[in-house]
Order: sequence, then structure tokens, then C-alpha cells
Amino acid sequence: MVVKVKNVVKRYEEKIALDHFNMEVNEGEILGLLGPNGCGKTTAINCILSLLKFDKGEIQVFGRKMTPNSYDIKRQIGLVPQEVSVFENLTVKENIDYFCGLYIDDKNTRRQYVEEAIEFVGLKDYVRFYPRKLSGGLKRRLNIACGIVHKPKLIFLDEPTVAVDAQSRNFILEGIKKLNREGSTVIYTTHYLEEAEMLCNRIIIMDNGKDIASGTIEELKAMITTLEKIVVRFVNIEDEVINKMYKIPHVIDIERNGEDFIIKFENGINNLSNLLSFIAEYNLTYIKLYSQLPTLNDVFLELTGKELRD
Amino acid sequence: MTVFKYFLKIALKNKWIIIMYISIFFVMTLLNSTDAMKREEAFEETRLNIGIIDKSNSELSSSLKDYLKEKNNIVATKEDEEYIKEQIFLEIADAVIIIPEDFTERVIEKEEAIIIYKDDRKPHSIQIENQINKFLAFANITYQNGQFALGDVKEALKENTQVHVLSKSGFFENSSIETWFRYYFNFTGYVILAVYIAIIGIVMSDFRDERIDNRRKISSKKLLEFNKEIYLGQLTLAIAVTSVFIIASILLMGRYIGHIYYIKYLINLMVFSLSILCLTFLINNITRNKHVITTLSTVLSLGSSFISGVMVPQELLGEKVLLVAKFFPVYYFVRINDAVINSLSEVAFELFMQVLFAVAFLLLGLMFSKKAQRI
Ligand SMILES: Nc1ncnc2c1ncn2[C@@H]1O[C@H](COP(=O)(O)OP(=O)(O)OP(=O)(O)O)[C@@H](O)[C@H]1O
Ligand SMILES: [Mg+2]
Repeated sequence: MVVKVKNVVKRYEEKIALDHFNMEVNEGEILGLLGPNGCGKTTAINCILSLLKFDKGEIQVFGRKMTPNSYDIKRQIGLVPQEVSVFENLTVKENIDYFCGLYIDDKNTRRQYVEEAIEFVGLKDYVRFYPRKLSGGLKRRLNIACGIVHKPKLIFLDEPTVAVDAQSRNFILEGIKKLNREGSTVIYTTHYLEEAEMLCNRIIIMDNGKDIASGTIEELKAMITTLEKIVVRFVNIEDEVINKMYKIPHVIDIERNGEDFIIKFENGINNLSNLLSFIAEYNLTYIKLYSQLPTLNDVFLELTGKELRD
Repeated sequence: MTVFKYFLKIALKNKWIIIMYISIFFVMTLLNSTDAMKREEAFEETRLNIGIIDKSNSELSSSLKDYLKEKNNIVATKEDEEYIKEQIFLEIADAVIIIPEDFTERVIEKEEAIIIYKDDRKPHSIQIENQINKFLAFANITYQNGQFALGDVKEALKENTQVHVLSKSGFFENSSIETWFRYYFNFTGYVILAVYIAIIGIVMSDFRDERIDNRRKISSKKLLEFNKEIYLGQLTLAIAVTSVFIIASILLMGRYIGHIYYIKYLINLMVFSLSILCLTFLINNITRNKHVITTLSTVLSLGSSFISGVMVPQELLGEKVLLVAKFFPVYYFVRINDAVINSLSEVAFELFMQVLFAVAFLLLGLMFSKKAQRI
């Protein structure tokens, strides 16, 4: 186990930011920490990294207790903080070199690592730029380069794609996959479901400082009762017929959204063909009909009772 | 040594601050030295406005008064220190002299006989001192059997012969050179105060930025190592800035260094630099806000320099002002520069006070840094 967080409680004056929070990270995985704004993602990372003291609980990194003086553990860790954290008075290359120098003394190794990091984030044409001259997306890439330049085994990325255009976002996500393929364990916080779904092997869903569920995407989706939704719009339908639809196997609920009906099923097998038979039987005319498999949003909605959307 | 390297790099990226202050300084110095030149040329020529308070009313004092009247314009004054200082400050009088009651006895005993208030910044102010000394020197020569031969003195002074007036420690010969160095180093103190606080403060506010410091905290760089490199960077920067002024003083006036007690200025400047370095340490532990730091740099340097006698000589400042000034190291720095001494032990107290300030700033700074760490 690379990281183990057990029952950690962190209070800011009145506010409880982490409420008996648990988390386990296995070597080689990309773990997503998914939760809405203010749920405690950054706080959790800062506690793991000993940037913050916590009130209760236990944190281990690489099997050892993490303290501010655990320099050999720190050597293996990289952080890409949520806010861009670079010197405004240093150029792209100087920034990367400085932060690399906090880990690596050898000049030649450092030169090589800096080159590789610049290459990695695609800032080759911007090495002499000052951060204020970079676009938002490029600044984020610089922020990433400063965090990973020393080739850490364990990388924390705290919402690295917030306020980033689609192009840079894809570039960043691909980069993270690459880091992972090269052997780094990644902890990725986000409140974008699609990103978590696309990137992560495993996800921990967080809300109000608690870990409310964890598992692979399939495991998480299996936790909820609605496993398929079919949206359909009929040309003309009577209430009586609608009531009869509850007889279709596995239907648990039917919601009306304007002229659309959302039919929820409790498992995901043959629902569409069952519905189509029903339509044929009652001679109904439909103008649209499509099936939706559950998303993480549905999982989140069912577990917390609220939507996870911007 | 990446931290050290980038400390200096960031400092260099703010070099305009240093360049600005140093250019202002050298423009002022240049103006001042042309002033000093005039001072020498105009030695015998200019009529000054002087005030005379004669409490002696003796034959000798009225003879001196007559002599001074020939060479200068007399302005009315009164025996009140504040009033006199104001007259000089407002340039109503270039100098005011007070002839004490026991004037004659003092002259006979070859003691310091006359109190002179003058503005050292004025190119000609030295002239009045010279005239008095000349008069007294002749008077002394003619003193015989309890009598001055004042008639002879008058004649001799009229002859305008080249007379070499010697006074204690040969001060008058070198006075304009000495004055140049005094102003040069006093003003250096002001610039060092401003530049150290501004430049070191600005660089430190970058390193102490919370987000950037967090990156340092999670890294494998040991805090002790980091601090060592940071303080080495500060020291290097400080030495570089101070050296500019020392080297420039040698380049500009190096040929006169043998004539004055140069080592006094040198040691004083080094001790002063140390105390200001400690002051910046304190400030950097109190705030990391760049605007606060640049404001402090301007206010502290201008304010404490002014009340300590960098811009206006200490003799012209009120007692209350000087009392406040005593709480700043600049005051002691200026006192040493202004002092006419033959050995450093004569200014041991002033040196000690500057070191004391250094220690106090350091301890206070440590206290604040402990407090900041706890949060
Ligand atoms: N220094 C602080 N003092 C007081 N409260 C704080 C402090 N830092 C964070 N909090 C509170 O703790 C809670 C968790 O904050 P945290 O930054 O960990 O959330 P997050 O999940 O990272 O949110 P986001 O997605 O917006 O980054 C929030 O309610 C926040 O207001
Ligand atoms: Mg956050």
C-alpha cells in the first residue's frame, strides 16, 4: 500500500474539513478523489503531505508514518497544487530548475530532468517566458512540470485541469496516463465526473469530509439501484397505458420530464427489447427513444442526494 | 546551491531598485563634490552673513569683532540655541558665533575659546572658522606680559600673508576632504538602509509566498539547508551593495585616503551594514507583503536618516528629534562619521550600540519567525 489514511479528522476552527476520512492507494494505480467544492480534497492531500496537522487518525506513506522531517519519503513524492504555484520573477525553465533543485543536487541529472519535464508538458517554445505571459492552460502545464520534474513515484494532482481549455486538458490527461504507465502512482482530485471516469482505475467519492464510497467505476455503478434509464417520447399516450408500463420486467420508476418519460430499470439486461415489445403490443408511436447507462453522477446523486455538477 | 543561485537571480531581476538608488546617490555625490570644490576656491572671497554674540566685551573680543566685520556682513541674533539653529536652518545666517565671558583667559590658556554654529553643508562655512583661527593665532603670538598687541595683529592680518593655521589634529587643512567623506558615508548609510530593506525584502517575499513555500515544505530539501542558502544569499547581496560604495569612495577620492582616518569610515560602514542586515531579517519575519516592504524601505530609510543627521547635520536638529533618533542605528553611524577622532576606541560606544541593535533585531526576528511557524 502506497498511502493509507485512517480515520483522519481535521478541524479548522469551527468547520470540520475531514470527518473520519479513510483512503487507501495501491501501487501503480490512478486513484480519483471525487467530490464537490469544499468537500475536503485539498485538505486531505495537505494532511497526507504533512503540510497540515490533523486532529485525529493516522497517515502512512510508503508504509511509514509521515512527518515534516520524513525527507526520504518526501523525495519520492510530487505535488501539483491546485493553485499555480510558481515564481512570477523566474522564467519557465528557471522555475522548473529551481523546484527540481529542491530534490536533486547533481547538476547534470538536474539539467536532464528539466529538459524532460519541459518536453513532457510541451513548453519547449516557452522556456524563456515569464509565467504572466503564459495562457491559463500553459501556466497549468508549468505548474505540473514543477511538481513532477524530479520523477516522483507518487504524484498528487489537485484539480490540475480547472479552468483549462479542451486542448490543454486533453494534453494534461494524456500526460497523467503516461506518467502512470511509466510507473508512478497517481492521486487525482477532481469534481469533473467525466475526467474521473476516463482516467481513474479506482475512485473515492467524497462529501462533507467523509469518504462515502470507493471502488472501480463498475463497482461504484453496481452500488446503485437504477442500472438503466430509457428516455422515450410518444406521439400520443394515455395515462392508463403509462400505468401498464410498470408491468414491464425490472421497471422501478417512471418520471416525467416535459413530454419525455424516463423509465428506470433495476438491472441492465434486455430492457430495451422488453420496452419495444410493449410498444408493439399497445401499438404506440414514439419519436425518440434512447437508453442511458448509469453515470458517476447517478451514483453520486443516489449516495448523497445531490448532483455533482458545476 | 540552487536556492542560493536563484536568490541572487531573483535579486538581479529586481536590479532596477538598486540601480535607481545608487544612481541617485552618485548624482548627489557628484553635486556635493563640486560644492566642495567651490568651498576651496572661495576660501578668502565670500562675505558671509554672521551673527556675533559677545559676552566677553573685552578688548580682544571687540578687536575680533572688528576684524570679522571687515570680512563679513553682520546679522542680528540672540542668545538662544533654538533661535540660532533656526536662523542657520533658514539660511538667515551662515554662522553664528558666541564669544564667552572668559574669552580672554581661554585664548591665553589656548583653550577652545569660541562656540560656532554653522551649516556644514555650506561651501563657505569653513571660512569663518578659518578667519577666527587666524585671528587667534596672531593674537597668541603677540601675547606678552599679560598684553595682546592688537594693533600688530591688525596689521599682520591686513598683510594677507600666507599663514599656515594649525589647529588640533590638522583638521582645517583637511576639512573639505574630511567633509566630503563624512557626507559620502552618511549618505551611503541612507542608501544602504533603503536598498537592503527593499531588495532583500522583495526577494524574500517571493520565497516566503505561501504557495511557493509549500512546495519547499513538501520537498526533500532540509529546512536548515534551505535557510543556510537563503542567508548566504542575503549576505552576498549585502556585501555586494556595500562594496559598491566602498570601491566608489576609493575610485573617487582614493588619493586623499591617506590624509584622513579612512579605516573609521570603513569599519563603521561594515558594522552599520550588519545592523541593517539584521533589521531586514526582522522585517522579513514580520511581513511578506511587497507593498509593505517597499513602503517600509522608503519611510524607514528617509525618516531615520533625516532625524539622525544624514541630510541635515545633527547640530541643527532639535534635542527631541535626536532623542528619537537614538532609537535607530543610523544615529550612531552618523555620529561616528561626524566625529573627529584619532582612534576607534573613542567611538567604541557608538560601535557597540550598532552591534547591540543588530543583536536586538536578530532576536526579535527569531521571535517572530517562531511565532509564524506555530500557526
Ligand atoms: N485555512 C482554512 N481555514 C478555515 N477553513 C478552511 C481552510 N481551508 C479550507 N477550509 C474549509 O475546509 C473545507 C474543505 O476545503 P478544501 O479546500 O479541502 O476543499 P476542496 O475539496 O479542495 O474544495 P475545491 O474543490 O474547491 O478545491 C471547506 O469548507 C473550506 O471552506
Ligand atoms: Mg481543493
